[in-house]
Amino acid sequence: MLELSKLSKHFGGVRAVNDVGLKIEPGQIFGLIGPNGSGKSTTVNLITGLLGVTHGSIKLAGEEITNLPTHVRLETGIARTFQNIRLFGQLTVWQNLWVAENARAQRERSSFLSRWLGGERGARARITRALEFSGLADKADELAANLAFGEQRRLELARALAAEPKLLLLDEPAAGMNPEEIGALDDRIRQIRDSGITVLLIEHHMELIMAIADRIAVLNFGQKIAEGTPAEVQAHPAVREAYLGAAD
Amino acid sequence: MDFYLGLLQIMGVHTLLGLSAYVVLQTGQVSLAQAGFMAIGAYIAAMLTVLSGWPLIAALIAGALVAGLTACLVGFPALRVHGLMLVVATIAFTEIVRLFFFNFDYQIARGSLRVGPLGGEGFRQIRYFPENGWTTLHVAIFIGTVVALVMAALWWMDRSRAGAVLRAVGEDEIAAQSCGINLTAVKVSAMTAGGAIAGLAGGLYAHYTTHIEQSNFTILLATFAIAYPILGGLSSVFGTVAAVIFIQGFLVEGLRFLGDWRNLLFGALIVLVMNIRPSGLLDARTMATLRRLFSRKEH
Amino acid sequence: MLIVDLVQSIVDGLLFGATYALIGIGFTLVFGVMHKINMAYAAASVGAAYAALRLIALIGGPAWASLLIAAAAGGVFGLIIYWLCFRFIPLSNPLATLMSTVGMFLLAEEIIVHTTDGMPQNYPVVVRGILDMGEFMIRGDLVFVFVCALLAMVVLLYLLYRTKLGIATRAVSQQPVAAQLVGIRLNHINALTFIVTGMLGGFAGALIGSAVGLLSPLLVIPLTIKGLIVTVIGGLGSIPGAIIAGLLVGMAENVFQYFRGVTERDIYVMLLLFVFLVFRPGGIFSNTVKRD
Repeated sequence: MLELSKLSKHFGGVRAVNDVGLKIEPGQIFGLIGPNGSGKSTTVNLITGLLGVTHGSIKLAGEEITNLPTHVRLETGIARTFQNIRLFGQLTVWQNLWVAENARAQRERSSFLSRWLGGERGARARITRALEFSGLADKADELAANLAFGEQRRLELARALAAEPKLLLLDEPAAGMNPEEIGALDDRIRQIRDSGITVLLIEHHMELIMAIADRIAVLNFGQKIAEGTPAEVQAHPAVREAYLGAAD
Repeated sequence: MDFYLGLLQIMGVHTLLGLSAYVVLQTGQVSLAQAGFMAIGAYIAAMLTVLSGWPLIAALIAGALVAGLTACLVGFPALRVHGLMLVVATIAFTEIVRLFFFNFDYQIARGSLRVGPLGGEGFRQIRYFPENGWTTLHVAIFIGTVVALVMAALWWMDRSRAGAVLRAVGEDEIAAQSCGINLTAVKVSAMTAGGAIAGLAGGLYAHYTTHIEQSNFTILLATFAIAYPILGGLSSVFGTVAAVIFIQGFLVEGLRFLGDWRNLLFGALIVLVMNIRPSGLLDARTMATLRRLFSRKEH
Repeated sequence: MLIVDLVQSIVDGLLFGATYALIGIGFTLVFGVMHKINMAYAAASVGAAYAALRLIALIGGPAWASLLIAAAAGGVFGLIIYWLCFRFIPLSNPLATLMSTVGMFLLAEEIIVHTTDGMPQNYPVVVRGILDMGEFMIRGDLVFVFVCALLAMVVLLYLLYRTKLGIATRAVSQQPVAAQLVGIRLNHINALTFIVTGMLGGFAGALIGSAVGLLSPLLVIPLTIKGLIVTVIGGLGSIPGAIIAGLLVGMAENVFQYFRGVTERDIYVMLLLFVFLVFRPGGIFSNTVKRD
């Protein structure tokens, strides 16, 4: 589904991402971990196109997307959530989803007029369903800025899903959650995977990632230092060293 | 009676001007170019009716189109320039347009008269209305109709997906991109639409005042243009209309007895409102509440 | 076209451009510290010069004292602007602060017009004399203006780079949150920035008055525009940029006027701005400020 080859991003002398290669199979939940500053967020930004690559290539479902602008990548099927939630605070919950739904409609090549003037068939039904699914149905007309933190996270996720992506990038979705919420998140991610969406999960929360990921890649200082099943990664000496320091 | 009709005409034109800024401001671009677009629309529409004998509506539309096209051309380089630099760039644009018309001569002979724009003296004898038997009342109704149509169109757009997308871009460009929104298309479209509306305002203005000159289209006017939507709140077209009615109606005309001190009040009023209610009169929160109130009433 | 006349234009423009540099510095300093533009800055500066004139007319005094009084008045006006336009408006609402400074600008201009009935006020000459250098003429008053402006810049740079206040100001402009965490009072620094730039502006306003020979409300808008152009060309937030850009704009203005006359001069100045915006949107010294 997603293939990164020799991906690099240099900021002047700093190699934020250095020669990273990854292959994510369709239907997987793929985890990306690494200490702070290891290049995880940069990699995500490269995949979604907010940053341009210095070297390397990115392929989605076999298609080269390395030089496509961000909004086009949405059309090709990538969606993401943000670490610090980036909702449209002054728009209502409904409008947040409505805006994101446009990407899906664009893919289906709905006519320009029906898309933009809001007369598009099915949009209403789809958004209502998405709202019910994330438990936000009663807040449809609430300004996104007025939601509680947990609700905002759910909206952020619902918005990413509204685009009906093939690949979903989750950037530290568990940040700031209590164990109960993390349990719900775990179920949610599995649901998403079961519905046919491939998931790339960036997380610091080790328990969640080890429990849920099919495969994990580990970054440190911009380079991939390990990849494998959760068990393999946990046992990997380089990973231990990266997180805990060299053994004496 | 004529006085009040004249007031309505001014309010109508200023409403259009404010609405033209409203559209652009929603995408987060602060544009002081609306006065420049208005000037273009004014001169083009007037030249078409006076020099080429075009019918009014065709001329107005042509003026709006040319202004819109100019705005489109301005919109692209504007993308490269963010925030406050855009303010300065649009200030420069309005000045260039003004200076251009200051130096612009194009006169033809009409019988024993020469008509057409004459540089610093401006463009006199834009006499379409008197020559075709329009009374002040007719003109006021006409302007009012145009304003109502534009308002309706924008109100509808506000409630459509397009409106939500405009605001999304204005709020958070990165999130908007990541939701699949084409920033370039949205921002340039907004600038174009704004330019066209301003051009329409210019055409109407030229015809009811019958005499336009470069000093009508200053940066000061451009600041009025953005003042209306900012003071009125960017969440609803009605905010802009309310601001125009208040400022032009109350402040400028209603406080006539204060003579020249009115403009002083205007400045002071702006400072006051921005301190008390920075998001304007009808901001997102107020609109959401109003909407809830109205939908509750229906039940 | 005589080379001599051209060079004369350039020199005159360069000397006068120092005042534009000061105004540009004022705009850019406020921008650097608060990431906002104070649209009322030039108006306040001219207003301060007016105030100085008034005071001198009232209590008498040598012409050069007007410069210092204008600086003081400018500082006061700067503080007032800070209080009315920035202190209480949430900084996360840039439109509101921008609009309030526009309101302030209108207010300032109207006050100027009212207190003088719109009549230009003669500005007393501070320095007379012309230096004859064969074919050239170096106007004494322009040299005086230039030297004063340079002095002001030196004082400012000293303030910024050698005093605690200056360091605190630069800290706030680079990292407002971290600056607060080490105990810097944000409001104080912001207020002081406005006072200092206000003084600079008042001084500049007085210098302009003495160079042009009179003060008129018609000065305000062109000065605002040129100040903003200087700020943008120099790079938002960059003081050396504002200095160079100020001299550049002053020079360019005179050169354009020499070739194309007064009515077309400003068109070319705007075009100069556009050239910079297209090829170097960050200004001469980009990279000084990352946020917009």
